[in-house]
Amino acid sequence: MQKEFPVFSLLNSALNTISAALLIQRWYRQHVARLEMRRRCTWNIFQSIEYAGEQDQIKLYNYFGFLMDHFTPASSERNLISHIFRKNEICLDTEWERYFCYKSIEVTKSYTGPHLTFPVTFCGVSKLVEAFKHKEQLHARYVLQLLGETWRLLRTFPNISHVIACHTKPITICGDLHGHLEDLLLIFYKNGLPSSDKPYVFNGDFVDRGKNSLEILLTLFGFLLVYPNDVHLNRGNHEDHIVNLRYGFTKEVLGKYSVHGKKILKLLQMIFSWLPLATVIDNKVLIVHGGISDTTDLDKIARVDRQKYASALRPPKMKSDSYLESKTTETDLDEWKQVMDVLWSDPMPQNGCIPNEVRGGGCYWGPDVTEEVLRRNNLQLLIRSHECKQDGYEFCHNRRVITIFSASNYYEVGSNRGAFIRMGPDLVPHFIQYQASTTCRELTLRQSVGWTERSALQALREQLFVHRSDLISAFQEFDPNNKGMISVTHWASTTERVLNLGLPWRVLRPQLVSSTQRGMMDYQQWIKELSITEPKLEISDNSILDTMYKNHSNLETIFRIIDTDHSGLISFKEFHQTWELLRSHLKTEISAKAIADLAQSIDFNKDGSIDINEFLEAFRLVDISAHN
Amino acid sequence: MAPKKKEEPKAAAAPKPPEPERPKTPVFDPATVTLEFTPEQIEDFKDSFQLFDTTPTNEMKITYAQCGDLIRALGQNPTNTEIMNVLGKPKVEDMHTKMLDFDQFLPMHQHICKAKDCGTYEDFVEGLRVFDKEGNGTVMGAELRHVLATLGEKMREDEVDQLMQNQEDANGCINYEAFVKYIMAS
Repeated sequence: MQKEFPVFSLLNSALNTISAALLIQRWYRQHVARLEMRRRCTWNIFQSIEYAGEQDQIKLYNYFGFLMDHFTPASSERNLISHIFRKNEICLDTEWERYFCYKSIEVTKSYTGPHLTFPVTFCGVSKLVEAFKHKEQLHARYVLQLLGETWRLLRTFPNISHVIACHTKPITICGDLHGHLEDLLLIFYKNGLPSSDKPYVFNGDFVDRGKNSLEILLTLFGFLLVYPNDVHLNRGNHEDHIVNLRYGFTKEVLGKYSVHGKKILKLLQMIFSWLPLATVIDNKVLIVHGGISDTTDLDKIARVDRQKYASALRPPKMKSDSYLESKTTETDLDEWKQVMDVLWSDPMPQNGCIPNEVRGGGCYWGPDVTEEVLRRNNLQLLIRSHECKQDGYEFCHNRRVITIFSASNYYEVGSNRGAFIRMGPDLVPHFIQYQASTTCRELTLRQSVGWTERSALQALREQLFVHRSDLISAFQEFDPNNKGMISVTHWASTTERVLNLGLPWRVLRPQLVSSTQRGMMDYQQWIKELSITEPKLEISDNSILDTMYKNHSNLETIFRIIDTDHSGLISFKEFHQTWELLRSHLKTEISAKAIADLAQSIDFNKDGSIDINEFLEAFRLVDISAHN
Repeated sequence: MAPKKKEEPKAAAAPKPPEPERPKTPVFDPATVTLEFTPEQIEDFKDSFQLFDTTPTNEMKITYAQCGDLIRALGQNPTNTEIMNVLGKPKVEDMHTKMLDFDQFLPMHQHICKAKDCGTYEDFVEGLRVFDKEGNGTVMGAELRHVLATLGEKMREDEVDQLMQNQEDANGCINYEAFVKYIMAS
């Protein structure tokens, strides 16, 4: 390649260098784009499975609502679930105080966990945080005492907290934590503990999914008690005892406190309903967990009786028999909508405001609604959480809305960073990002995408497996001659029709289907290759098994509702009633004999009652490819 | 992907520095592009297009800014200049607000697919060999970083860091054949 003339040689060399640089840059950009595609795909999988689960839950709950509304003396199902709809019984607070009294609970000498003196001090709460860091558990007596104090304090708070930003004390705003204690500890490490010099706003969803929801609550409540004017807690959609039945918080509490768990849960139920709904900084920045809708009215929100909405999943029916009933119901519905919108809504890129059908509650709201609501209430910025973001935060709607999410590795190790906001009186947000867990710091971008992707595909294969009989019948519609083959196009459209997850199946195909021949695939073989095994149980009726797998979470929710004393055990009769409820909700046929057989076979210790946790464990699907 | 022809060295004169365009660049006219994709390919593109569509009502629209990423995710590797060209050289402020639908996207993608060859493994290795001063199969990481950040379609520092992550040995050198294999293996 050497040229004869030195000038040419110099020019050529410079051109080569530029051309080499361009080539590398182009390849790099392609590499990043392809990784981004995979990451997006993976994200889609996790998110659609998560939201499908939420939607499922709301459908179940709406079904309960339907049962309640259509009361007939003979309907036994209604009695089964009526207690969950009973509002916080009209008891005097003194009666509740008696019920939640901790004084009779003794702390024995054998207890090695942290002690708490009251009134709590900064020192006491910091020691508590240290204890939690070392995986110690707080004694039930102290838990009840702390929660009792929190409940009393929260009742004195308005629905909307007002905060003044100040030069010497920037405000820290955190998003969803979802039981990830390591993230809260990381935030405290980077930013300092809450104090009168270090005010904090925590924007809801403290519980569910992670393993340390209770420790997070106790920590936040502890600091709240010490600095009631400087720690602000907003309610999230997961601060809801019905949601907790499904997403793990109830199970966590009962697992950690077998004797007093039920009382703790009841007290928490009341605390959740007393959590404020919003925080406003300098009358200019609105902070709510979900978002807004076109009807959001801060004055109305300030006036609602917020503790009526113990679970935001259904408008409470007033037990009034006067002619005023219809009027109060309308106001009730209006208030309920205000609360739902604030806790459940998500932003969308286009203008308008439509019901949020994906979640089942709240709205999707557009940039025009943001402008209007901010203008109407004289605000300049909306900060919300509720949606996981890869970088821990995201702007939208012309930077008038910020989503802040503080649970890193939410879907999987390496899936996303968490972030928090620091804001001074100039009301300009500064973001600090982080990622808990030592392992992911060493992963390259490609490795962390790969890891998360593997996990998402595993979850997806489980979903496919669970729907296999529906899938096979649907495929057979395109295979009239029963050859066992179907085109890729039909595979993609059919799978979407059955699973209804809104996923890009053609993009996912290379990772889900091992081989195709001339655009055709063997679907029977494919189902087998999903390599999910079922636990070995003596169940004769396959349709029950399928229903079981598909409705795992629904069943768990129903079980825990029926288990009114939170003992973790239900009787055969209750077991049967559970299936009755599920059957009528799904409108499927399940024979009574099949249920009875099932009950017998899972009464593992033959004592006539069924352990919920054992039962659910027995039906956990195992992805054997995960062990490679 | 079908093997592409080796790029002629003279063609390297075509890449422009990222400053004002020369007037002789032809304006892209989507009407002049004939689509040669198979129906199967179009279905695949649609799926990928949908992945980038962030409208909750699934309007099958993406922003101008996403167009380049999508084309790259589908296996092409155009320069940024080529992308701006098929987009009709939009203003910077339009990149995140203007949308295009699938029918507008197809001719752009087709044009990029038909455009000059994007380089094979050999091209890539040849390109890096330019920096191999000692002819021993390695390049200095620092030199490569400098070039990527200052020449051609400059990369940002964090992009260069990401590219070079875990690639340099204890002496700050990179074995470039391994490097190329790594980049091309995504």
